Amino acid sequence: MPSALKADGITVTFGGVVAVDNVSLDVEQGKILGLIGPNGAGKTTLFNALTGFVTPQGGRIHLHGEEITHLPPYMRTRAGMGRTFQTERPFEELTLLENVLVAAFLKEPKRKHAERLAMEVLEKVGLADRHDQPALDLNLARRRRLELAKALAVQPSVLFLDEVMAGLNPPALKEMIGFVRRLADQNLTIVMVEHIMEAIIELSDHVIVMANGSVITEGLPRDVIQDPRVIAVYLGED
Amino acid sequence: MFDYVSFMQNLSNGVLIGGVYALIGVGLTLVFGVMKTINFAHGDFVILGMYCAVLLNTLFGWDPYLSLLVAMPLGFLTGAILQRVVLSRLVEAPPESSLLVTLGLSLVIGNILLLTFGAEPKSVNVSYASSTVSLGEVRFSLILLLAGLATMVVIAGLYAVLNHTELGRAIRATADNRLGAELVGTNTRRIEAVVFGIGMALAVTAGVVLIPLLFATPTFSGAIFTLKAFVVTVLGGLGNIGAAIAGGLLLGVVEVMGASYLTSDYRNAYGLLVFLLVLLLRPEGLFGKTVKRV
Amino acid sequence: MKKHYIILVGLVLLGIVYPQMFPGYLSVAITLLLYAGWATAWDILGGWAGQVSLGHASFVGLGAYFVAVGTAHHDIAPWWSILMALVAAAMLAYLWGSLTFKLKGPYFTLSTIAIAEILRLIAINEGWLTGGATGVFIMTLPEPFGLDLFSRQVNYYLALAFAAFTVLIVMLISRSKFGYQLRAVREDEDSAMASGINPTTVKLKAFMISGALTALGGGIYAIFLSFIEPHTIFYLLLSVQIALTAIIGGRGTIWGPCVGALLIVGSGEIFRTMFAEANMLIYGLLIMVVVMFLPRGIVGEPARYLLRRAYAKRAQG
Repeated sequence: MPSALKADGITVTFGGVVAVDNVSLDVEQGKILGLIGPNGAGKTTLFNALTGFVTPQGGRIHLHGEEITHLPPYMRTRAGMGRTFQTERPFEELTLLENVLVAAFLKEPKRKHAERLAMEVLEKVGLADRHDQPALDLNLARRRRLELAKALAVQPSVLFLDEVMAGLNPPALKEMIGFVRRLADQNLTIVMVEHIMEAIIELSDHVIVMANGSVITEGLPRDVIQDPRVIAVYLGED
Repeated sequence: MFDYVSFMQNLSNGVLIGGVYALIGVGLTLVFGVMKTINFAHGDFVILGMYCAVLLNTLFGWDPYLSLLVAMPLGFLTGAILQRVVLSRLVEAPPESSLLVTLGLSLVIGNILLLTFGAEPKSVNVSYASSTVSLGEVRFSLILLLAGLATMVVIAGLYAVLNHTELGRAIRATADNRLGAELVGTNTRRIEAVVFGIGMALAVTAGVVLIPLLFATPTFSGAIFTLKAFVVTVLGGLGNIGAAIAGGLLLGVVEVMGASYLTSDYRNAYGLLVFLLVLLLRPEGLFGKTVKRV
Repeated sequence: MKKHYIILVGLVLLGIVYPQMFPGYLSVAITLLLYAGWATAWDILGGWAGQVSLGHASFVGLGAYFVAVGTAHHDIAPWWSILMALVAAAMLAYLWGSLTFKLKGPYFTLSTIAIAEILRLIAINEGWLTGGATGVFIMTLPEPFGLDLFSRQVNYYLALAFAAFTVLIVMLISRSKFGYQLRAVREDEDSAMASGINPTTVKLKAFMISGALTALGGGIYAIFLSFIEPHTIFYLLLSVQIALTAIIGGRGTIWGPCVGALLIVGSGEIFRTMFAEANMLIYGLLIMVVVMFLPRGIVGEPARYLLRRAYAKRAQG
């Protein structure tokens, strides 16, 4: 399988503090990479460096073989990246359909076509029957799905999920896990930062564990969670 | 040919007028530091101080410096009440709201003054208006010197309050970390009212010491003082009192020097240009960190 | 959306017959229409893109000066000078935005005041360019199709066309890809970037359209006044009036700026005798009331309420 996303030696510092220290990763097309670690481990910073919201001081990033290290976030989206945000903030006055429309316009400049695409995506995430509802008053699980719909509507080849499982109740969590699984089955490459172990174990093809800005171990999810270093890091947090 | 005496003359005038600008800027920056509010009516508070002195002079023949005894406490009270009644409602609102509401306040103050005092400029004549004090060949205008002196006294007083009293400690704590201050039992709502009161009292004081120098006009000049206050505070960094003082002195000198050595047509533009440059070149450094959501 | 077009057509028809009904109130109507147009144009940047400018008087001044100086000093017909003004305004907006769009929120607003003040000082002091502090008189104007451009009636229809055209542009934008990009940038620049939108480009486009339309109104204003001076036309208070008209009515709504203009010009007329030259008092009081009690404006707040209720009803039914 060809490499969809490849990063070499990513280093990010904030005013002398090294937040991400020489991290490399390689994700194949259609695979799911899980990124875990205690709070402050640097996974969100790495995530933002990959999506272009933070500028790394060192390292290179390739998307489908093209170097994107110096592209701004919107150019990376145009090159095939899609991402969600941890704290989702939908455009409250707009309907769900219009919310997704903003993103759908990227690949479909004609309103009619963009609307059709947005509708398809809403159907996928199970919000189609509410497409004409204004986004204000949406509950957390649905806001999550709307956030996901926005990321999917740019028709990405690599999807970045920032803690989309957090705070979901068990049925909603199960549903979301199934949904992400289906996305990967459709050959979408996924990078996810996640605290919910259940989701990481069930979904990831490969897991990277970070602590203090560095990778402490990586591998198959089953192996990684039994690694004494990982256990130590997580226990150390409490 | 370089004229040393006139250079020193300009420099000292610049510093003295800059002191008054500093006084105006310190009020604005103090309010910003604690409330994160850009007070658009700050310049109109200065004008209010000027009219207060005018009124007391016409009614009782008081010297402007005597009217400070009334103007300062009155300014403090009005400010505290304004904060309680108007601004405290906007704590949760988007940042522009406080700018817009104080802009509205500025229009209301200016136009009420216009309705009360009319459009023609007003001033207070003092017997010592043209007196000068000589130091070598450089001559200081007495009113300018008094204005500079009064500024220094007030700023020193403020400094003492902020650094050596319980109230000052609470103010600094609130500016520094609002939540933290609340956790250790500071009533930050009260602090905000007090700080807005102090800010207004400082602006009013600046207005009073300026009245022997400048004419008071009700509407447009308020905006000019507000702009000057922004320039002063941005030069140093909003929320930083020492920097506001430096910014005020710098603005005074830049204006006076620019007017006498370049062209006086653009007297007000020099400060604005510097303001823009600072805004553009060091926006984050001057206004604290930009907060990223991701 | 269709209803907005119907409202616009209805209002324009009403506007066309208005001079026959109230021939004595043309000047007020012209002022109202100019403010409605300016506030609507301002709102493209201030409301739809969320960048509050307090410098739009510069664009009014630019349009007015191109027309006035064009006819008075260079014998250029106003329609040509207005075209030039549109191009110049778009260029000014481009430069201005490129310089200041990295500033956010209130700091952007402060920078617009500073730039507008500097432009005003230039207009006052550079007499060779602008006629200086004394201003410019428009003495003669060409008569296209035998129309007297000095007549109130013609001024009125020009102002009506300006306001209607501006509202129409906003209607078209609001449903277009660009309109959604504007809203996305206003709500959240990071999220907009994740949707592949370049916020700076979008804001620049908004500023250029907004500035050019404002200058168009400025050109008509110059013909209406037939005398302009830099003190009033580049004035900070004019910028404030334009911005507050839109904000009071409701930012980012199609009709908010027009309702704001109606309210402000209307109450200005009613209280004219009471407040005389202190007419800005109304702006001050209204903006305080709106920000404190109707943060989305007079049109925006009920619109939001209706949106909510309409869906609740549909969901039940």
